[in-house]
Amino acid sequence: MSRNAGSDVKAAYLFIAPAIIGFTVFVVYPLIRSFYLSLTRYNGLTDPVFVGLGNFRRLFTVDPAFWPSLRATGYLVLLYVPLSLVLGLALAMFCNQRFAGVRLVRTLAYLPVVLPAIATITLWKFIMNPQVGLLNTILERLHLPTSLWLQSPAMSMPSVVLVMLWGVGGTMIIFLAALQAVPTELYEAARVDGAGSASVFFRITLPMISPIMLLQVILQTTAALQTFNQPKILTNGGPGFSTNVLMLSIYNNGFPNLGRIPQLGYASAQVWVLFILIIAVIALTAKFTSLWTYSDNTPD
Amino acid sequence: MRHTFIATALACAGLLTATACSGSDSGAGSGDGPVTVTVMTWESAPTNAAIKKALADFKEDGITVELLDTPSGNFGDKLASLTQAKKLPDLFWCGNDTEQQYTSQGLLVDWTEKINEGDGDFKADKFVPSAMENWKTADGRMGGLPSLMNAYGVWYNADAFKAAGVPEPKAGWTWDEMYAAAAKLANTNGAKYGLVADQLTGPDGPFTMSMYSVSAGGAPFTDNVNHPTKAEADDKYTEGVQKLVEAVRNGSVSPPGYDASNVQSLFAAGKVPMMFGGQWLAAGFQTDKPKVKYGFAPFPQVQTPVTLYDSVGICTPQYTKNQDATFKVLQYINTKVWDAVLPASPVAPPAYAPAQASYFDALSKAQQTTVVDTVKADLAAEKTVGVRFTTQWAQQVGDLTTATYQPIISGKKPISELQTYVGKINDLIKQGG
Repeated sequence: MSRNAGSDVKAAYLFIAPAIIGFTVFVVYPLIRSFYLSLTRYNGLTDPVFVGLGNFRRLFTVDPAFWPSLRATGYLVLLYVPLSLVLGLALAMFCNQRFAGVRLVRTLAYLPVVLPAIATITLWKFIMNPQVGLLNTILERLHLPTSLWLQSPAMSMPSVVLVMLWGVGGTMIIFLAALQAVPTELYEAARVDGAGSASVFFRITLPMISPIMLLQVILQTTAALQTFNQPKILTNGGPGFSTNVLMLSIYNNGFPNLGRIPQLGYASAQVWVLFILIIAVIALTAKFTSLWTYSDNTPD
Repeated sequence: MRHTFIATALACAGLLTATACSGSDSGAGSGDGPVTVTVMTWESAPTNAAIKKALADFKEDGITVELLDTPSGNFGDKLASLTQAKKLPDLFWCGNDTEQQYTSQGLLVDWTEKINEGDGDFKADKFVPSAMENWKTADGRMGGLPSLMNAYGVWYNADAFKAAGVPEPKAGWTWDEMYAAAAKLANTNGAKYGLVADQLTGPDGPFTMSMYSVSAGGAPFTDNVNHPTKAEADDKYTEGVQKLVEAVRNGSVSPPGYDASNVQSLFAAGKVPMMFGGQWLAAGFQTDKPKVKYGFAPFPQVQTPVTLYDSVGICTPQYTKNQDATFKVLQYINTKVWDAVLPASPVAPPAYAPAQASYFDALSKAQQTTVVDTVKADLAAEKTVGVRFTTQWAQQVGDLTTATYQPIISGKKPISELQTYVGKINDLIKQGG
């Protein structure tokens, strides 16, 4: 290796050093530390006490909140991810057309994403108040059936998902970029061949944006598994455990209400369960990717 | 979430810095130099301003008092961060549960000797006895002193009672009368439920229900909330639960899961005719005049009056640099500060009995006579029950309550499950969590 090459290598390491240090300090160390804490009884006030797999045993066999939390998380993912993809894509397709005021429509669709999340969620809480909320007031005026919304065990999760879908503009904007990247000559050729709208959508649009769809599935699923804001503000996990998703359960165990001792070791064990769950879901999604994504690099 | 996180992190960082700075000053207190005693409250900005003004009159050579400016929200998160960083202020507002748990971890200064054997009038026997008892740990330590009492009862809309032809609640009324009134008041004048009682149907519900069983001559849900040896649901207790289940089923009482976060506004607007609540609402009602004529009654009874006991107080971390100086400020807050703060905002009666006059005077001047009567009756009550476990495993009891007790109240699980629920709590008590 020449002297110049050696100094280039040093310079390269120097340039990537901040990233490596940051990754080590903010990702690797917390990962190792949280795994260690998951094997301890730790309240943040006194030294951790090693309990082996005790926290995991309690989680899977004793804790009355864990399995309902897992169910609530799964329900949320199953409701939110397909709906956000369908709505996001539909909105993107609508905004991808040429009509007067399309830019304004795009802005309006994206606006909820840039508004302060906590404020809008709090506003939704008032809107969904069964007694004095706007939603029931409108339904009553229209002589339609009302609902307890967030206060009903059956309706609470759909209501939370409804509020989450308020931010579907984020999904839309990525789909819109993908749609605009589809070569127009493909559509022109299809039209010449007499293809209908459905054929164009399923045979051209969907395959061409399928890599972006994959990205969206992974991003939306990961985000849904880590949902916190909406259930925290809207329901705080209730009624019962109906919206007590894993992230909220972790938070409540790690940072409980005033007057209760934190269970940071136990919460760390829950974090690892969530982490493994996310890895498993992403691995499964990636494994079946080739079945439904189109790639130019697919060998003949 | 990210915004909240950043805001909380910045607030904590600010607090850490503030306490860290004051810590260096406090260090001088270990010798003969000047001492700064830091104080952190969970009060609103106006109340904090009144406390700050009152603390400015504290005159003691070499002692400066600094009230830390901190927004009142998320006090628990702030406390947890400061505790973990070992940067707690010298005096911080705390609940009885925090005091019990922190003391058991050896984190707080034990004031037992000072409050029992100190000079002057600032002695244990001048405090409300139930408050002092409640603040003692199993081994007799006191990791703080109670400062304000919470008295609970039933807030009622007198106009709604009159319109429905139902007699207003008063001392000695019964649980059956309460449920009957709730049934008549439900679904009238924009009110969905006749009674909103989060304390009965929420996480603390099993403890509140003890009022029924004890009043009927039965046993409380637990023998001691601080250091329990058992939980039980005897016949009287089960009878009380049965009545509540029926009231929830017929729609007169709000079910578990009812969002009680804005119930005060609904009450003030006349849309909740009756609600369980604490005396502190009186201060808010004094400024934000409700639309309706209202009153505050003691809890109903079966045979004898029973109420909940609860108090908040002020704690000091073990590592405070100058315990004598800190205790002097603590004494000043308990004996003088409330006199200055409560007339403008009568939130609660002080636990230090000689300081209670200003609280009751303020309420009397505002013609809140039912509040005065109920709070006085509450403070003098012979039979009281605790509001919740203060143990380290209390969170697990909360989860059990959500999993079993609340579905029983909703009618989704049979009442026979009550014994299973109690059995699981007894397992926790035996295992210590």
